[in-house]
Amino acid sequence: MKNNIIYLFLGFIALLQGCGAEGGSKSEQLAVDQTQVLSESPAGCIGDCASGNLFLTVSDIELIISQAVAEAQARNLKATIAISDRVGNVLAVFRMTGADEFITISSTANTLLDDVSGGLENVNIIPDTMVAISKAITGAYLSTEGNAFSTRTASQIIQENFNPGEDNTPSGPLFGVQFSQLACSDFSLRFNPLSLPSAGPRRSPLGLSADPGGLPLYKAGTPVGAIGVITDGLYGLDKDINGFDLDNDELVALAGTYGFAAPLNRRGDVITIVGKTARFIDAVVSDIISTDAMSFSEINNNVGALVAVAGYYDGKQQGLSADRNIHRVVLPGTAFGQPSSGIVPADPSIFKNQAGESLDAFIFVDDNNNNRFPARTALDTPNAELINRLTQPEVQEILNQAISIANKTRAQIRQPNGSQARVSISIVDTQGNILAMGRTRDAAIFGSDVSLQKARTAVFFSGTGKRENAPADLLNNLPPPLYLAALAEPVNLSNGLDLLPSPKPKFSDYVNALQLFIGVPDALEKEGSYAAFSDRAGGNLSRPNFPDGPVKGPHGPLSKPKGEWSVFSVGLQSDLVYNALIQHVAFVLGAAPDVGQNCTGNTGLSNSPFSKQNTIKGLANGIQIFPGSVPIYRGDILIGGIGVSGDGVDQDDMISFLAVHQASLVLNNGLQNAPSDIRADKIDIPGQDTRLRYVNCPQAPFINTDKSEVCNGL
Amino acid sequence: MGCKINALLFVIATCVIGEISAAEVEVDLDVEEKNTTTIVPANLLCGQAEKVTNRRIPGRVVDEYQLPACDDEKIKPWRKTIELGPMMPDRWRIVEALGTETNLFDPYAGHNPLKGDLPVWGKDWFYSLIAISDSVVEPRNFPVPVGGPTTSRPDSLDTIGDGDITIFSQNIILEHVVYKGDTVYRPPDYEFRFTTVFNFNQVHTDERGILNIDPNLGGSAGRRRSDRFLGIQAAFVDKHLRNVSTRYDFDSVRVGIQPFSSDFRGFLFQDSQFGVRFFGNRENNVFQYNLAWFRRLEKDTNSGLNDVSQGLRDDDIYFANLYWQDFPTLGFVSQFSVTHNRNREKGQVEYDVNGFIVRPSSLFEERFSKDYDVTYLGYSGDGHFGRINLSTSVYYALGEQTSSRFRDAKDEINSFFVAAEFSIDFDWIRPKFSVLWSSGDDDAFDNKAKGFDAIFENPQFAGADTSFFIRQNIPLIGGGSVALSGRNGIIPSLRSSKEQGQSNFINPGLQLMGIGFDADILPELRVSMNANQLWFDDTSVLESLRQQSSISKNFGQDISASLIWRPYQSQNIVVRLSAAVLITGAGFDDLYGHDYTHPYSILANLILTY
Repeated sequence: MKNNIIYLFLGFIALLQGCGAEGGSKSEQLAVDQTQVLSESPAGCIGDCASGNLFLTVSDIELIISQAVAEAQARNLKATIAISDRVGNVLAVFRMTGADEFITISSTANTLLDDVSGGLENVNIIPDTMVAISKAITGAYLSTEGNAFSTRTASQIIQENFNPGEDNTPSGPLFGVQFSQLACSDFSLRFNPLSLPSAGPRRSPLGLSADPGGLPLYKAGTPVGAIGVITDGLYGLDKDINGFDLDNDELVALAGTYGFAAPLNRRGDVITIVGKTARFIDAVVSDIISTDAMSFSEINNNVGALVAVAGYYDGKQQGLSADRNIHRVVLPGTAFGQPSSGIVPADPSIFKNQAGESLDAFIFVDDNNNNRFPARTALDTPNAELINRLTQPEVQEILNQAISIANKTRAQIRQPNGSQARVSISIVDTQGNILAMGRTRDAAIFGSDVSLQKARTAVFFSGTGKRENAPADLLNNLPPPLYLAALAEPVNLSNGLDLLPSPKPKFSDYVNALQLFIGVPDALEKEGSYAAFSDRAGGNLSRPNFPDGPVKGPHGPLSKPKGEWSVFSVGLQSDLVYNALIQHVAFVLGAAPDVGQNCTGNTGLSNSPFSKQNTIKGLANGIQIFPGSVPIYRGDILIGGIGVSGDGVDQDDMISFLAVHQASLVLNNGLQNAPSDIRADKIDIPGQDTRLRYVNCPQAPFINTDKSEVCNGL
Repeated sequence: MGCKINALLFVIATCVIGEISAAEVEVDLDVEEKNTTTIVPANLLCGQAEKVTNRRIPGRVVDEYQLPACDDEKIKPWRKTIELGPMMPDRWRIVEALGTETNLFDPYAGHNPLKGDLPVWGKDWFYSLIAISDSVVEPRNFPVPVGGPTTSRPDSLDTIGDGDITIFSQNIILEHVVYKGDTVYRPPDYEFRFTTVFNFNQVHTDERGILNIDPNLGGSAGRRRSDRFLGIQAAFVDKHLRNVSTRYDFDSVRVGIQPFSSDFRGFLFQDSQFGVRFFGNRENNVFQYNLAWFRRLEKDTNSGLNDVSQGLRDDDIYFANLYWQDFPTLGFVSQFSVTHNRNREKGQVEYDVNGFIVRPSSLFEERFSKDYDVTYLGYSGDGHFGRINLSTSVYYALGEQTSSRFRDAKDEINSFFVAAEFSIDFDWIRPKFSVLWSSGDDDAFDNKAKGFDAIFENPQFAGADTSFFIRQNIPLIGGGSVALSGRNGIIPSLRSSKEQGQSNFINPGLQLMGIGFDADILPELRVSMNANQLWFDDTSVLESLRQQSSISKNFGQDISASLIWRPYQSQNIVVRLSAAVLITGAGFDDLYGHDYTHPYSILANLILTY
């Protein structure tokens, strides 16, 4: 025992530094891994630091958990702690004895805000492990060598106003991102009990989390994973960011990160989005009250234990029984950029620019190091003619153009200033089949699944006039979301589950509302007139206030009215995936099989529970409602879509839009962006005097030129 | 050497002062008793005897002198006594007796009770009315955002939009003054002043989301905004506390909403705010002092006028300054000042009438409004050294503000400001040379705020409101909903609002070098031109806000020209017409793109004064 005691001297450091600002950054600096950063840039890692020997080792993870547990004990809290690597492999889930095993989802608990009903709000049967894992994966997926973001950052950028609490301002830039990386996604690779942590990206059990207490972990300047902590039984977000929020989840997570904290010059609080710095953490190192931590072997199976989570983690001991919990072990993470992580450099002979120079691109690979999404010819027949479909060379050209433009684009969310934008790119056909996916160096992981959602969303909503599988028909045929009612506390699952009597939305309601709202009665119908919906345009219709921001406005037709809207119940986006999400919760609880790889068409807790009914193949991983995608046309025929995600939303918009434009110039065969006259910004919305946006390319878009007007007229 | 000269001058000054003080005893202050019924013929004033007369020359003792002998060879002086009729107790009755008639519409008629020409009550209560109509038409162009959630036109795919904006503003100013006292020599005993300004303003834009946070509000689909407001720009009582010398050196106190300027050119503070001010002078006006406390009023957003319907802001300003005439040399006035701004608005959230947040500023953490304590140590001077005119101000600002990055922490404020205008008069033309340096912050995240910001600037400098940069509030698009500088502000302080926001000491600062001239080409017509080169002092704050690297300091050249036509050579009718254009520099291009050309500002202004 004595040998292994790890003295952190945190209290001593706090004493030395005092509590003033001057001390703040010094003691924060001590929480960062002191290993020398190996980067070609003197300003720190710029995407070039990840290497085969930078990953979370078993002893790293044990130390992190020990530190977090010590803080939880010092604060008399019972925590559930999850550790993931950068690509979402769950490396440990540690539950302190007595921790709440059921978590309530609520955006309004402990606030003066009116209660919200419907969606995931008030669902109180969520396993603590799902919450902790979601928080860890969020911290990992949002962070890169250029930016360290946390679940607190997520909370700030997904709400109806940005900043939250600033009345009437437009919504957060990543409005809707919480419904990505879903358990039902067809993109994410799933945990395999037979193998060690391996190729990702993995799914996140509840999507991305906005509940403070998920922090990234860094070694030598590169992100190697994240920690997620839940202690308070509540899965929510921070609605009031006016002050400093001392959150127990976050304090425990912060203690865990000691020695692995994000570099100070990469944290969200030195990164601005429209001039506002991102929130990274509200607590500081000197808030930590634990002074030493016991070794992991002392706390494991003592103050708590590693626990298995179906679909995510078994610690080499299959099965969920308590006796097996005492044998579980912590698993080492993967090294990012190595084949085992599922993300590797691309072949420069394929990913090259016009001059033949390497684009420094990256691809997604499986456990056997095979490119999962090489460019291929489309599987659809747009306008009933095969000749219209996207071809393999066209797909590769668009993808290469996108990466090439991203490399020239000024990053909005990365340090140092003037960095290249780092994004993931997906190209799909009109059925939502993946035609190619690729990445730039060091793009944030969350953008992989999101870029696919975005591409599919643009294609789906631009599908008016499709003779087969018109979007209105597909939506109208979906089984409705069946909202769970909160169980009486304390939760006892054996009493069964009840459904909420109201609200009970139907998907046809959304279709009708959309048609009425935009004054196009045949929108989304098979006989309808064409309209090209970028994700920005569709996103305009998915905000709780229309146009985005002012509370005076009506709610967008794809959103929900006051009293029903929250980040846990955003409208069509969340309703599409609701039943599948609940099935996954039931699976983790051991009450149902795991959800399939399509988020739509799930019957939910109906008489034939969790069966598939009219799934929409083209929306298999759900839709996305923040900007960064455009549909692709040949002449005026819809042939596919491109989605871009990972940097600022204006950057994502521009890269997708200009990639198609540049490809059209190179290919010169009719492939192009939507003809200007059918873009959604031409729709005259009745009684609104407001038009939708198609794309918004950023100010100062490129790194090496001061041109600013780069999209107008294209 | 300089020290010695100063010391010497000081001794001379004390000498003179001493003598005047000695003479005071002989002076009869009671002027009113000296009413005479006749004009004494000049011949009676000549003679052989030594006569004593009370002749006053500033700086000398009462003079005794020998009257010259009367010389019959020369022109004969008037020898008859003129009877003046009944004794008149005041001059206005003389004017009345001469037959001047009251014409209330003529401010110059010598007998106008609306202009304080005769008492309105009792024998020494006067009323004066000043009425001004001030009309402005201002077409202008500079980069604006194209709109967030919606735009004016389809196919608006970039961020920076068409910046054509036209402003019309009409002010009707009514100033009422009631005072007790003599209208000529002696400062009034009491003064009551009440000034109302009614403003109507209308703004047209090409883009949406600029005039109101709700892009649907206002006319023309959110592209027109009309607003009106009645502001109280003065409401004070002035009590003349006492005279302290024969030269009417005095102490006064003034309580209420009153105009005040911190220095000669309005660099730090020039506004009408609620407060209490003790002021006066000493030593035959060689020294003037102000001791003042102001608690700031909220301002109406679109008119910029005082809004007394809202509570006072938690913002106090304490001024202590001393003006010293002819120091360090004859013809130059020096002012030494200590100004303290104590702001306690931490935690407040305030929106302007258009729905945009003003406190805290929508910038960086935007966590809450901050508290700040800033002390400005200042020296200002105005006058001439030989033929060279100089007007200058130097401020050093130090203090601390709430850190919005770290809980319970403070940012240290440490910044400076220097401005000077040199000029020389050649007959009808005055060439000018201006320099200004307002310090910028070199790191937005280091808990040290090194950017200078004023309290409420209204700089009369380098072209003032005819200059493009000073006049216009160019939005920092994509870097927070702030403008580079406020309207009629020269410091690029990135405030949410000059009128309603808090000072911001994390700003890029400015360096300016300019040339210009004022030319009185006709008695009625003045032509001015200014050309200013503008550089940011340090662009790292802008780089942080815009997530951009290496933004050039060179903002551009601000070229402006103005005509001021006063057809009656008075202030009663003033027509001003000015135009300014910004020749954009690399820094402007970095922020707004090199494809944005020729931001301009035109100002047509008609002022009619009664």
